[in-house]
Amino acid sequence: MAETPKEKRKLTRRDFLVLTGAAGGLYLGVTLGVLPFAQLKLAEFLDSAGGPPSNIEAVPLAWFEIGADGPVNIYIPKVEMGQGIHTTLAQAAADELDLPWESIRVLNVGTGKGLDDPVGTSASNSTSSLFPILRQAGATLREMLRLEGAKLLGAAAETVRAEYGFVFSNQDSARKISYGEIVRAVKTWVVPDPLPALKKASEFRYIGQPMPRVDLLDKVLGKTQYGFDLRLENMAYGAVAMPTKIGATLKSAAAGEAASLPGVIKIVIEDDFVGVVAERRDQAWRALEAVQIEWNETHAWEQAEIEALVQIGSGRGVTVQQQGDVDGRLDADALEAEYFTPMVFHAHMEPQTAAADVRADGATIWASTQTAVGVRRAVAKATGLKEESVIAIPTFLGGGFGQKVNSFPAVQAARLSQAAGRPVHLGYRRAEDFQNGFIRPPSRSQLRAVVNPNGLIEAMEHKQASGQVAFPFLPVFVSRVMGADFGAYRGAQIRYGIPHKRVQAWLADLPFKTGWWRGLGLLPNLFAIESFMDELAVSIGMDPILFRMANLPLDESGARMKKVLETVREKAGWGLPAPQGRARGVALALDVNTIVACVAEVSVSGREIRVHKLTGVADAGFFVNPNGAAAQMEGGMNMALSSALFEETLVKNGELTPTNFGAYKFLNNAASPQIVVELISSGDEPFGLGEPPLGPVAPAIANAVFALTGQRLRRLPLKLA
Amino acid sequence: MELSINGKNYTVDDTPDRPLLWVLRDELGLTGTKFGCGVGICGSCTIHLDGAAVRACLTPLSASAGKKIRTLEGLATENPDGSLSLHPVQQAFIELQVHQCGYCMSGQMMTAAALLEQNPKPTAEEIITAMDKNLCRCGSYPRIRQAVARAAEIAAGVQNG
Repeated sequence: MAETPKEKRKLTRRDFLVLTGAAGGLYLGVTLGVLPFAQLKLAEFLDSAGGPPSNIEAVPLAWFEIGADGPVNIYIPKVEMGQGIHTTLAQAAADELDLPWESIRVLNVGTGKGLDDPVGTSASNSTSSLFPILRQAGATLREMLRLEGAKLLGAAAETVRAEYGFVFSNQDSARKISYGEIVRAVKTWVVPDPLPALKKASEFRYIGQPMPRVDLLDKVLGKTQYGFDLRLENMAYGAVAMPTKIGATLKSAAAGEAASLPGVIKIVIEDDFVGVVAERRDQAWRALEAVQIEWNETHAWEQAEIEALVQIGSGRGVTVQQQGDVDGRLDADALEAEYFTPMVFHAHMEPQTAAADVRADGATIWASTQTAVGVRRAVAKATGLKEESVIAIPTFLGGGFGQKVNSFPAVQAARLSQAAGRPVHLGYRRAEDFQNGFIRPPSRSQLRAVVNPNGLIEAMEHKQASGQVAFPFLPVFVSRVMGADFGAYRGAQIRYGIPHKRVQAWLADLPFKTGWWRGLGLLPNLFAIESFMDELAVSIGMDPILFRMANLPLDESGARMKKVLETVREKAGWGLPAPQGRARGVALALDVNTIVACVAEVSVSGREIRVHKLTGVADAGFFVNPNGAAAQMEGGMNMALSSALFEETLVKNGELTPTNFGAYKFLNNAASPQIVVELISSGDEPFGLGEPPLGPVAPAIANAVFALTGQRLRRLPLKLA
Repeated sequence: MELSINGKNYTVDDTPDRPLLWVLRDELGLTGTKFGCGVGICGSCTIHLDGAAVRACLTPLSASAGKKIRTLEGLATENPDGSLSLHPVQQAFIELQVHQCGYCMSGQMMTAAALLEQNPKPTAEEIITAMDKNLCRCGSYPRIRQAVARAAEIAAGVQNG
């Protein structure tokens, strides 16, 4: 089933908000115009379900600032956490504005600047959603500058061009005026109607080129300020009591001797909240240990009990894909298999962290967060301040991977700051970070299918159960109406051209928090489907790439998938024998309209699985920055490999374990394989690439292990018998 | 206590058992050195103590006094005119576009710089062995390996390779 992108709403003159500054300067904001796609999807859903109308407030999505001197600043609400989006977006704007590369700066902005982004930085949508908008805004500004520049040069509009930060006379290149000079001279601006055309691909200077990352110089010098690095005037340090046992709640707390320990400024004990503010971080930690705390503990959960909660066929089940007559076609001879994926931690290198300065009249929060808007809302609620008097500023993130959509540390830092009357920095220790976030939920998949001897799949069914992914972040009424958690069943749909197919999703209520993890359900669901595809191919003795090709949908997505499969076959040397002692496996994924195929080459030594090489081929529509896209492929594939071979969060004696790196093993340098990446452009519109590479890697490895050993491993992390 | 950090002297009045990491970050504002695990596993806090790569989270203040401490902030060389000359490792990490989120890279670059000082021409295996002590959750490992090899070339005067 192909996802046909909806026709995009075109920006019009009325989507731009133009201001001039007191000291000269031109500001252009892109307003409602294009809704971020997730918001649009939700709005459409609510309309069709008869819910509240989608009268979503107009807010700017990006803000251009052309000063009378100096660089052009573009403010966007999307954070940089390693995806390289500040660079891809600078490329879009610099090309359309026709600027030297050095004069454009992309800046993160907090909620105080009027840029509200209800979606947050997630779902691989930053480049795909903002790229067309920044291009149109850049082109519009360029045309405005060109028209005003013509007047200032005393030339007819059709005789001047905008190029490299200047407006030039076509007759005499010595007659020119810089954008800065134009901005200084002009007081009233008119947005052209209709809006100017975008540049043609042949005119691009930066788009499509491997431009260097705009954030790297600061990063190699150690100047980049991450959330953990925040330092404010008069700042104190906080520590917050958080239970280690699942489901525990605060029973009682008494400051006791903690209040008189060195450096302690305040012991905060309020209803369900216990924390310490001290002059130093270690003093806060020591004092927190000295606070007498009792927890109400519930049941001491064990792993087997958690897994038993993840059941197909019990409780709420929702059909999320349906075609043909599955029950009529799936007979007793159908092949069937069950797969399981465990809970895992995000394990971002920078633990969750925030700094807060809460005053009587308002608050400023700096947070390592994927959603400044979410932080603002949560802090306002916790402090009793009005939302408009809370400013939430996202910092650079030391990794996020979905975890940093939450607002826990920001709210805790704000409560401490409010109680102590001082700015407070709160940084989780690793165990606190692991045990007090949302983790990837466990998932179970059952697949059944019938294949005819020619290799065509006649019918396929996928039943899937998982803990919550998206619902914890949505209003309760939305989850009630929707029934199935779209985060949990992301990747569960069957993309092959099978006449009879059905996908059903069940939701498990778990005693701990689960939620966004890079790609959401993509990795768990693709592990099941693409392992099963391999089992089907093996059952009829067919080459797994040819088997997939035989079952592609007869539409545009099928044509794209075929090309990706052909390319990965060639690049991985699929037709040639694998090196001695190794075997290869393949898998294919379609996600956010991006197609990724992977071939893994593995060997086995005793019970140890070793991945030597991953070949990844992606068609993400169009690549704004091919080198950045390759980096996303390399990193995403490595993260998926890590899930495939190493990672597992286990519930033991009522706790999420392990509680630090080392015991929680993830991919290290020596285990990281050779990675070969090939990118295929299929159009001029970029789709996402932050998450899709995580789809096909785990099943490709599992399929290679089967080819090598005959052991079909249906549970992650893969462990040989 | 007297500390020599990146060629500058600092006097700190602190408990001798306090980890150097927190003194660098919270007291002296040298936040280029990162906290990741606090138990010496991830390597995000790697610094040089008399030229050797060590974990700042496991290094007590008392073990740092009297030694030459170098952090990421001290990796580049400041020229007489105030401009900076990047260390070959910094140049190579930019050239290979290694960083994604960049949080672990402070430690990665310090480990790499220490390796190259001891072993200016490391083999591919030696690079992996040295760099395997530093974790990267963004999965930039292939580029880290390439960049360390490239940094060795740059240090040896090999131009754009």
